[in-house]
Amino acid sequence: MKIRTLKLQEAHKPSSAYGAANGSSFCSILWDQQARHLVTASSSDSGISIHDALLPSTTPKILRHHRDGVTALALSPNSTCLASGSIDNSVKLYKFPGGDFETNITRFTLPIRALAFNQSGSMLAAAGDDDGIKLINTVDGSIARVLKGHKGSVTGLAFDPMGEYLASIDSMGTVLFWELQSGTILHTLKGVAPNTGLDTSLVNILSWSPDGEMLAVPGLRNDVVMYDRDTAEKVFTLRGDHLLPLCFLSWSPNGKYMATSGLDRQVLIWDVLKKQDIDRQKFEDRICCMAWKPVGNTLAVVDVSGKYGLWESVVPSSMKSPTEDIPQSSKKTNGLMLFEEEGQEPCSSGSLGDLGEDSIGESGPPSRKRIRKRSEFDEDRSTENTIDDYGLLPQRMAPKRAREQLDKGANEELRSTAISVRSKMQEAFQPGVTPVQPGKRRFLCYNMLGTITTMEYDGYSHIEIDFHDTSRGPRVPAMTDHFGFTMACLNENGSVFANPCKGDKNMSTLMYRPFSSWANNSEWSMRFEGEEVKVVALGVHWVAAITSLNYLRIFTDGGLQKHILSLDGPAVTASGSKNQLAVVTHASNCLPSNDQVLEFHVFDIRNGTRPSRGRLPLSPGSHLIWFGFSEEGLLSSYDSKGVLRVYTSQYGGSWLPLFSANKTKKSDENYWVVGLNASKLFCIVCKSPEVFPQVMPKPILTLLDLSSPLASSDLGADVLENEFILNNLHLFQIQKRIEESSSDGRDTTDLDDEAFSTEAAQDRCILRLIASCCNSDKLVRATELVKLLTLEKSMKGAIKLVTALKLPNLADRFNNILEERMLNETKDMSEAAGVAVNQGSGLGRNGTSSEVSSEPSCIPSSSTTLSAPHFVKKVVNRGEQKGRSDHNQTAREVQPEAATRGRSTELRTTAAAAAATAAGNEESSRTSNPFFKSSSTHEGPAKESTCQRPPSNPFKKSVK
Amino acid sequence: MAGQSCSQLSLFTPDEVEFMAEDELVEIVPNLRMDSLNFICGDYGPFYPQIAIQVPLWLALALKKRGKCTIRPPQWMSIDNLTQVLEGERESHAFQSLPFHYVEISRLLFDHARDDIPEIYMVRSLVEDIRDVRFHKVETNLENFTASAVTWKNMAAMEVNIIRAFSGRALQAFYRHENEQLIPDLDRTQDRQPQNLNDRPRRNLRPR
Repeated sequence: MKIRTLKLQEAHKPSSAYGAANGSSFCSILWDQQARHLVTASSSDSGISIHDALLPSTTPKILRHHRDGVTALALSPNSTCLASGSIDNSVKLYKFPGGDFETNITRFTLPIRALAFNQSGSMLAAAGDDDGIKLINTVDGSIARVLKGHKGSVTGLAFDPMGEYLASIDSMGTVLFWELQSGTILHTLKGVAPNTGLDTSLVNILSWSPDGEMLAVPGLRNDVVMYDRDTAEKVFTLRGDHLLPLCFLSWSPNGKYMATSGLDRQVLIWDVLKKQDIDRQKFEDRICCMAWKPVGNTLAVVDVSGKYGLWESVVPSSMKSPTEDIPQSSKKTNGLMLFEEEGQEPCSSGSLGDLGEDSIGESGPPSRKRIRKRSEFDEDRSTENTIDDYGLLPQRMAPKRAREQLDKGANEELRSTAISVRSKMQEAFQPGVTPVQPGKRRFLCYNMLGTITTMEYDGYSHIEIDFHDTSRGPRVPAMTDHFGFTMACLNENGSVFANPCKGDKNMSTLMYRPFSSWANNSEWSMRFEGEEVKVVALGVHWVAAITSLNYLRIFTDGGLQKHILSLDGPAVTASGSKNQLAVVTHASNCLPSNDQVLEFHVFDIRNGTRPSRGRLPLSPGSHLIWFGFSEEGLLSSYDSKGVLRVYTSQYGGSWLPLFSANKTKKSDENYWVVGLNASKLFCIVCKSPEVFPQVMPKPILTLLDLSSPLASSDLGADVLENEFILNNLHLFQIQKRIEESSSDGRDTTDLDDEAFSTEAAQDRCILRLIASCCNSDKLVRATELVKLLTLEKSMKGAIKLVTALKLPNLADRFNNILEERMLNETKDMSEAAGVAVNQGSGLGRNGTSSEVSSEPSCIPSSSTTLSAPHFVKKVVNRGEQKGRSDHNQTAREVQPEAATRGRSTELRTTAAAAAATAAGNEESSRTSNPFFKSSSTHEGPAKESTCQRPPSNPFKKSVK
Repeated sequence: MAGQSCSQLSLFTPDEVEFMAEDELVEIVPNLRMDSLNFICGDYGPFYPQIAIQVPLWLALALKKRGKCTIRPPQWMSIDNLTQVLEGERESHAFQSLPFHYVEISRLLFDHARDDIPEIYMVRSLVEDIRDVRFHKVETNLENFTASAVTWKNMAAMEVNIIRAFSGRALQAFYRHENEQLIPDLDRTQDRQPQNLNDRPRRNLRPR
């Protein structure tokens, strides 16, 4: 076997001054994700070197923050964060590739030996000579868990690529499988790896195969042993020409090859499937760390004297490139291609390195070997395709896995931002919260009323509460928080805080602080044992907290534990407004298409009822990012695809999409929703890479117009069509409110006025729509629109308009519609007035009803628009009074209402800006209407129900 | 306005120019909820906390003094834009386009809304530099002032105000030299005018 020599460059001085006993030190080497940088460190050197892989001659950037040798390096999966562990007992985080020091994320009492990031980069595991493995949230630096179980010093850590397990190995050769969710030991493999004793330059390591199916551990017989992911049973071993125990192993990015280095100073490259070594190289010194280049066919090695080098074209060009078919990433292949590709072109590797190798003209033996291998490979392929007699787990699993990976590929983008590791179900969040940024103040709560901000210091946080309206809101002193609150909610009366549990000693706590109270010391707190608060919400005189046990706990603002309800699923978020609490929960696991399955429940806390519940719609592939009530009290949601939805009772309760960021967005802006009212969305505009605002400088709310996602119509009047839909919605809501408040017996004059002005606005909008319809020759649509007009005056305006546009045909039609409408109105009146003479009007009514039924289907929706609001009110009032059958009271109530009516009529006439005198007469006749009508109701609703005139529609409802 | 000073020469004091500049609109972010304000000059509001709105500068300053709003510095007052303008002023002979009242607006904002302008020292020195360069330009332009070529674009209110008296009279002088017969009339008015100007008691504007 020819031994190729690889030139190594010195990166770190092989210091014997404070290195290990035999003058060698453990060195580490890493590639970043794009293979632009190489990071090296040595346990005898306190500096970490970042080499530019593209320009190897440039002097590396050296980070000197540790006070002693660096024993462990880890790079987050997206290569933005570098972690280093040192003999000086600290773990530090740096920005990458810049190398700016970020934080001392944790400290041990003894040297660190191993570091590992999980697949999403949200968690860092650190271990060393201490007896516990610390799992650290990289986001906030909190210790999520301490895993204790190893007897010796832990030298190797590996997160399972699927995010379920952590494998660790100690210097005595014991391997432990940890379940991350619970922090328990699943399997203990005692003494499976060599005992490295006290030589710190020799460490036991272990590594998951990139597909997560196997764990590779150095064995006792100078081999590599593969353990099954779930059962921890030995699957097979890679045994060959290593003469001494292994000191490092590394999987190629696609998991087909493995590089191992031994104490015998050899590095072997293995074909893992065939369990055979395909190449080897002998080095001057022991190679203590290796890293495959993530793109290309290169292995970076570093030896115990601190010299590093790049072994180009590791895998012969006749074989698949080590970066082909990388299981995890969706970039290269989609997984399903796996077999097809193998069948078509087994030698499809084509990296630059291969070319280089061929041109240099390598010596004989390796190439001979390559030829032999190739023939074997061909055989191999044929058997593989015909019959699956290998019995190897990875192959059998392949099709299934490929499909899974396809899904994973689709999630990749989501996962990089999502907080969760494995579960694609979105985590609980508080509306209006921004993520933790080290060293910066962040929002715990941002709503239309004010903000709660927090700033983390060593061991405590500083919380400030500010109201937007400085003149009205109470001044709240800043507070120091020793709990580490991460959830908060704010309203006029008080604020509520909660923290998740951190470890055993720090229990989850809920705290309520009223802003003003007649009694001293009226703030209170609750602690939860074995339970964790996930979401909090606040309303008038109640506080709600949803916990990890899916309990909805409702407290009064005095701290009385009033209700505890069990929710259907894990909470996503919650929001409170006045009496109403809206909760979003997961209804089930995600769909395979990665759609969240969410459900919402609205609770009325004061009455103890649940007025509505149902599915919460989201855009495909998105997740919920904001949830709350509009200024008018309508439930609203905003998803990550930028669609705002509002819940209405139309169509028996449904969500209307009222805003889409894609439609309005300038490409470099993200909208961070704060709230909305009937026509505007309040949000904070963030320049594109940013998705959330910073506390300083104080963000400014931007108002965006709500807009339905209309289809691009041939009319070219999108603005008007949008206005039309929004007005309709608005009108519907006002009428609903009028109904509600009149059934409560409250005064509805204001609402009536509002309804009238909305109707007037809607008429203006319709008139303009009619104009644009006429201009683009859509006469049928224009006729439909005319039927939707509310005021007689605007109908006349429409007729005038079409006459001016020289469409006499249409004008005739409009005239007919107007006459018909007038006829109906007078009929209604006569019907109301003369109950005795109803047979006379009966004929006419039959006539109109046939006419009406011949009208297009737009009529039902028009009926709501047509109905004058006061009619609705009257009718409902009457229904109620009839129920009480108190005639005297009827008379008494109707009279003051007639008076108010008179006033509102006046108002209206001014608002309508000189309504026609005919209309005035009509109004006055309407004023007298109730008296007549009230008598008619005694006659029986059956007759009324046949009436086609829209105002009677609500009455029909009330009768039923 | 012009009634206070000489109607013909239209001389304004800097205070008066500043007073006029206060009608310019600026964007503020109120920190209180307030209904619409109805003024002779128009209706402004309603005001919602944390939502930007356009109001006249005088209103903005009044609110600012009471701590009810923050003023958003206008677009042109960014360091980028100002450095660009300054370079342009130094390089070319022409005036760069700036708001008509840039001197007054910047002055008022520097005096009253110091905390709302990011990197105020930089902005301030830039604006002062620009002003100096432009004033200097105005003065050098006056040296070769002729009746035929008075097309100075983009001059700001303060700059116009400096040369208003001079250029008016200079133009008249040119006119007089060209039309000899009109001399007596003009002389008479010319004689009367300065007296009027001086006799008249001027009301000083209340300083802000």
